[in-house]
Amino acid sequence: MSPAVQTADLDQELQSLLERCAASDASALQRLYQLAAPILFACLLRILRRRALAEEALQDVFVSIWQSAGQFRATRGRPMAWMMSIARYRAIDLLRHERSAPVLVPELAERAEMAEESREEAAPWSPPGGLLERCLGLLTDHQRNCLELAFVGGNSHEDISRLTGNPLGTVKSWIRRGLQSLRQCLEGPT
Amino acid sequence: MTPQEHPEIVDPLAAEYVLGTLRGPARRRFAAWRASSAPVQERCRFWEENLMHLARGLRPIEPPEQVWHGIRARLNLPAGLEPRRRSTGRLLAIAASILLVAGLAALLYWRGLQPGRISAVASIAAPSGQQIWQVEVYGTTGRLVVLARRLPAHPSDRDYELWALPAGGKPVSLGLLPATGSTQRTLTAAQQQALAHAPQVAVTLEPLGGSPTGQPTTTPIYIVPLQSV
Repeated sequence: MSPAVQTADLDQELQSLLERCAASDASALQRLYQLAAPILFACLLRILRRRALAEEALQDVFVSIWQSAGQFRATRGRPMAWMMSIARYRAIDLLRHERSAPVLVPELAERAEMAEESREEAAPWSPPGGLLERCLGLLTDHQRNCLELAFVGGNSHEDISRLTGNPLGTVKSWIRRGLQSLRQCLEGPT
Repeated sequence: MTPQEHPEIVDPLAAEYVLGTLRGPARRRFAAWRASSAPVQERCRFWEENLMHLARGLRPIEPPEQVWHGIRARLNLPAGLEPRRRSTGRLLAIAASILLVAGLAALLYWRGLQPGRISAVASIAAPSGQQIWQVEVYGTTGRLVVLARRLPAHPSDRDYELWALPAGGKPVSLGLLPATGSTQRTLTAAQQQALAHAPQVAVTLEPLGGSPTGQPTTTPIYIVPLQSV
């Protein structure tokens, strides 16, 4: 089966499950959790970097999905983008509260179960590349790295400046111009 | 202030809100604006849909069972809704089929039906001499096989990532290293090219899912020679 077909099938199933959640069908939430929790957990873990906090956030995310499933509109977007946004916004919110907390020593000898997929293989939850991949290809390495560090890692401008060793103003400028280029490429110049 | 009055500021703010770089009071103000404005919501959805592509490298991680139990308790859902509960008979059938497939795979492997002929090999070992991974490159078919031997304890929020170190070039990721068992993957043209000119491979400890930058984010913990066979 091609990745595009897999993605379309998954989208359709997720959409139908969200509709059933909106109608308070608990078995739909159970299935939705099976399908979406692993990738949302990966997303939360990457941003929050602490397993216990990511587990707590994942609970918050599914409670929120259950309570707001009726607000999802398939005509306006893909279900996974909607759910991932709920997860990412929750994680960023938690980061704000955790910033003053001491950095804990990472737990040892505990290994997350992971699918053994290479990064190049298509993930069914992710949209097909197409135009966006071409637009991302137009960005400079610096711009793309900064966008990935922010979106996937949940890093702030200051974090990225420290991580990459570049001045804060430069990082802000790369991000601003990167986003501007993406918008122009995706929608055409305004 | 309405989005119609200031369309030029809505899109940049929406983009940085979705990206996560809009922080502090500005983020909270924008979130409130978004909640009450359909055009602002529309711009956020545009960026949510498109920027999601940046997360393609994320690999699913199974959350522990207690997370589901917590959700069920918080929402007062009926007990008995267990995402992964399967009947014993079904479990045995699955186990039997896994054993059958694993047995066949092992048989094929040991009969020498590997993906072509080994063209290069690297042995990654601890200072004690204990081998941790065996890396095998099958140049004719462009496959990479990694066998995990004895992995030392490591932080649960980190992954080991393997890199080709081409002479005079930047490191090229060869993917994550397995904690147990073995993995096989098809190398991209860029990875094959890098390996063809790499006298060494390296291992770094990276955030879960691998380096978010495409380059090592930490100092390599192992650098070993890649030997042609």
